Amino acid sequence: MIVRANGIDLHVELLDPSPPGSDVGRAPAPAADDTRARTPSAAGTPGPPTAVLIHGMASDTLASWYFTLAKPLADAGFRVVMYDLRGHGHSERPRTGYAIDDFVDDLAALLDELGVTGPVYLFGNSFGGTIAFGYAIRHPERAAAIVAIESAPPTPAWMARVARGLARAAELLPRQDAVAALAAGRREGFGRRARATREMLAATTLAEELPASPLPDPSRISAIGVPVLCVYGAESAVAQLAPEVARLLPQTRTVVVAGARHSVLVDRSETVRGLVLAWLREECGVAPAGPVPTHPDHIPQEVPGWTPPSPAARSSSATAGAAPRSSPT
Amino acid sequence: MAASQESILAEISEMIRAVLADFAPDDEITMETTFREDLGMESIDVVSLAGRLQTRYGDQVNFAHFVATLDLQTVRDLRVGQLVEHIAASLDRVGAGQP
Repeated sequence: MIVRANGIDLHVELLDPSPPGSDVGRAPAPAADDTRARTPSAAGTPGPPTAVLIHGMASDTLASWYFTLAKPLADAGFRVVMYDLRGHGHSERPRTGYAIDDFVDDLAALLDELGVTGPVYLFGNSFGGTIAFGYAIRHPERAAAIVAIESAPPTPAWMARVARGLARAAELLPRQDAVAALAAGRREGFGRRARATREMLAATTLAEELPASPLPDPSRISAIGVPVLCVYGAESAVAQLAPEVARLLPQTRTVVVAGARHSVLVDRSETVRGLVLAWLREECGVAPAGPVPTHPDHIPQEVPGWTPPSPAARSSSATAGAAPRSSPT
Repeated sequence: MAASQESILAEISEMIRAVLADFAPDDEITMETTFREDLGMESIDVVSLAGRLQTRYGDQVNFAHFVATLDLQTVRDLRVGQLVEHIAASLDRVGAGQP
């Protein structure tokens, strides 16, 4: 459905919790005495807790969540909210308004429009995680917990990486030869996504505005008191940010998935699903139904402070299901 | 193909043409038509179609939950007929439950 929020039309998809009696557990709303969550009481808020799933920047849409974690979260008792970020998917594409705060404003307005008043569980993939942290910074009373996949809070180091990525995309995507080279060895559909990204960067000021976003003082990031789960792919450079995130947010559970790349959510959705449901149960008191799915291929490394794997460690945890590592450029 | 499936297919075809607008195919949409290969629809387009179908069928068919059980690989191979069969089966169940 289309929801008008913050002055633009946003494409929104909702999944209601799987019906009772379908042998699924229920996620409790954060309780007043739940000191772990350190969120205000949601006792006056009837109904199931809400999970908001935020996709990544430039070449992503809500489909990445829809076909990976949305259904398992609904089965765990969540009301699941997904939306296409401004400029993405089937949402409106204004020419300007692509700083972090614009995306946070969109999210806040959307939740208001949907009548979501209690604290929400925020899930973000890549830059979507940064929007989740940004929302928790500005609306601390509205955040129950944060799951960030291949992401980080809005820090200078992360934003510098985002800026480099966008600059590279803006430079390479208009060149057919460069797109063909990048697409080699990638998943089917890469070329199509590259074209869509190129159109988007040409039609908006995102590539200039986003890297120039005003950043919060680190103390405001550290003030986020809710449980945090950070998942990284061992083969992704974003994992290098893990130690800084753990310093800023010591409550963070960091998991690095062996053999996975930046697209770990899509490539290794079953692993991510198992990690998320286990963390929800252990850190948030949300009990998923049935056994948490595991996969013999997947040997996630759980590390409090991430250190790059040695070649030996990497090969020992190498997985049959891992995508071959391509070396673009 | 059962008569109910035929009418459901006709209705879905119309919705697909609405979703695709200018990019709708000239050929007839059949049970064997695939969303990605034949119609060029991205996964996000399939999600949008799911939303329209949910509006159309309401509580009779839990369309969102059906589509969400697919993974990204499966949705690439999804045929129009699979949606038609799911809707027909759901409507049959609803019908059977009524006096």
